[in-house]
Amino acid sequence: MNPRALFAAGLMLLLPMKGSGQDGVDHSKHSAHQMTVDPAGVVMNQNHDTLPRDCTEISRDYEFTIHAGRKYAADFPGMIYGMSQHEVRVQPCSRITITFVNEDSVRHQWMVHGLPKYLYPAGMFHIEASGGHSKTGTFIVPGDDRSYLVHCDMAQHMEKGMRGQLVVGNGSGDLWGVAGVSDDFYRYSYLPWHTSLLAALVLVFAFLATLWLAKKW
Amino acid sequence: MSRRWLFVLALLIALLSCPPQWYPMPIRLKLTEWFGAAGFRGLPPSVEAMATEPEVFCPPDPEGWRDRQLIEDVDIAASAPCVADNPYTVATFVRGSNNVSQATLLKSGLAADAVEKGRDLDGDGDPDEIHIRLEVAELNGGSAVVPGPVTRYEIAPGIRPGLWVFAPKFVGMAVENFESNRARRSLRLPSPAIRIEQGDTVRITLENTHYMPHTLHLHGADHGFVDVSGEGNDGVPITSEMPVMPGDSRSYELSPRHAGTMFYHCHVQPHVHVMMGLQGLFIVEENRPDNWLQTMNIGAGLVRVPSRSLRESFDREYDLHYLDLDKELSERIQLHNDPRLITRSMHRDYDITDSAPDYFTLNGRSFPYTFRESLLVGEDDERIRLRVVNGGAKGIALHTHGHKFTATHRDGVALPEDTLAPQDVIWLATSQRVDLALELKNDGLHSYGPGIWPFHDHQYNGITSDGIGPGGNISAIVYAQYMDEAGWPQTRGVSFDRYFTEAFYRKEIPVWESYAPGLFSDTGHDLLMLLRVLGLALAGGIMAALGVGALIRRSRGRKLNHNQGQS
Repeated sequence: MNPRALFAAGLMLLLPMKGSGQDGVDHSKHSAHQMTVDPAGVVMNQNHDTLPRDCTEISRDYEFTIHAGRKYAADFPGMIYGMSQHEVRVQPCSRITITFVNEDSVRHQWMVHGLPKYLYPAGMFHIEASGGHSKTGTFIVPGDDRSYLVHCDMAQHMEKGMRGQLVVGNGSGDLWGVAGVSDDFYRYSYLPWHTSLLAALVLVFAFLATLWLAKKW
Repeated sequence: MSRRWLFVLALLIALLSCPPQWYPMPIRLKLTEWFGAAGFRGLPPSVEAMATEPEVFCPPDPEGWRDRQLIEDVDIAASAPCVADNPYTVATFVRGSNNVSQATLLKSGLAADAVEKGRDLDGDGDPDEIHIRLEVAELNGGSAVVPGPVTRYEIAPGIRPGLWVFAPKFVGMAVENFESNRARRSLRLPSPAIRIEQGDTVRITLENTHYMPHTLHLHGADHGFVDVSGEGNDGVPITSEMPVMPGDSRSYELSPRHAGTMFYHCHVQPHVHVMMGLQGLFIVEENRPDNWLQTMNIGAGLVRVPSRSLRESFDREYDLHYLDLDKELSERIQLHNDPRLITRSMHRDYDITDSAPDYFTLNGRSFPYTFRESLLVGEDDERIRLRVVNGGAKGIALHTHGHKFTATHRDGVALPEDTLAPQDVIWLATSQRVDLALELKNDGLHSYGPGIWPFHDHQYNGITSDGIGPGGNISAIVYAQYMDEAGWPQTRGVSFDRYFTEAFYRKEIPVWESYAPGLFSDTGHDLLMLLRVLGLALAGGIMAALGVGALIRRSRGRKLNHNQGQS
């Protein structure tokens, strides 16, 4: 197994364990976020022209149109929601414009985590499109090779298919559980019924056969 | 030869090791006859209590959400307990998300079309066209990447049952921040209490953001079987319509002619979906002029902007939503991530006819968290209305200390005047609603005077969390003079430290440990007894090995004899 991928998974596993206790503030109250709400949705922490500290210029401009909805999960058994592409590959220091097209009748999000916090409050860039709407937003990635988590943060949407990655440069190893890219970290075994009985029969057969062969030799 | 000595040694070890209290009774009696009682050997000492760090009882309220305030010209009443609703969300529910400033909407966290309020159809100064949007959220669900429940929500310290709730339509993340993985504060159990006015033209759009089919059924509220376009409107997949699939939406319409405390819930596989939390209070208020209603009450509890009709005869109103949960059901969404496996597990493997509830919540929390947000706080001589629903599978015997309340309405219908009488236990069947009038009048009947008076289910499983008490739906009626600044009741000579500790509900803290350390603690171990048992095991092992060896030698010997006989 790719050790960097494992490390990245470890990071993803550990991160959510931080912080405990009951008190807390509503996410929506983060006054530091730059955002507007309209009936079509929300774009949060958009950045057209401020360069990350490790970049001297915009290396390239990208435009992606990413569709989201239930029909994009059709090719993935056991998933409910999906995106037209779960992986976005870009050059370091590039400027990325995402047009996020929501084909369902409920909200969906395209959210990147782990961006530099000095540029993006809470380290995130976020597009939310209301059902049947599309929203466009632009941001600039830093200069280091890294793989960022992209997901929909509606409860359970990431778990049920809307999990992707933004690979900058060579990336830092694939994240776990990206549809069409990497396996689930906790994968159910999907064994048919009576597998234990079958395995026991095979074990007994092997035991007897070995005894018989040993006697013969 | 050495084998024989080994056998003797094992026998000796066995005899020496065998604890005298295991000797056969005649031998023990005979020994007592000869030698008298055995000498005193002290019982093992108590185990020292483990050091635990209780959670903060009262989370801070840096933005003053508890205070009385005026937002968008809406007078939002103070909320005395330490955790209060976001007042901007309350104001937006009153004015409508389409009628408030962008600043208020941002602070409310709501989507622009969460609750839209339109025209004043009867010209009495309040909007009568109401469009409510509801989403479906899963709390404490499973994940294929992250261990432990995601979008975490605790009903009590360390207790995180899997839950489904109807939720107002917010914008942004389901969690308060990416690192914590905790559900945002307003995404919670129970599903919000919904308030509309009698005669309003109401449209409720269910936007199914979940991964299973759901519907909305308006239990007890006046609604047509079909809507104006002839589509099914009852939310029942066996009679009126197909359920709303994931990612789809559907609108339900009503214009209720009758006021009262009603109920709403999902009607897809109700024995599972309703018991997962897809249920809420649905209140139809009497029509009054200039009656701007708080369309949703997140987490139920105190109605911070009560209706005109309420203010005519009461000082405050509380929504109380009781729900019990079966952990054998609720854990199923945490065991799998594949929706096909979850569906089979919940709807085929789970058998509600073999079930028993484990957790008992009031307004989405169990004790001690109920003391943070579900206290009934009032002042001397106040009249308080309680709108109560029992959404659980079992009945509730709701009991108040220090008070007798009067049930004025049952299932949204006024009870005859001449039958009204104060009582201190009321039975609520599953899905039943009652309106209770609680009077803080110190006359020895309605109230015995100011204090901190518990109210709870008097069916005893209801006051525990998975059998550990105090837990469950215990809360209290607290007179204002018994509340401190931060919103915590000034209890007398008791500590809540252990209740605010996860270990307490993991059953690791002895029940009376804090009363008298050592007196009722867990016991230590008897090391001499352990040594004796290990000695017996050692002797047993030796003897068994000797026995098996002897058997093998015997069979070999036979074979040898047999072979010799042939040659």
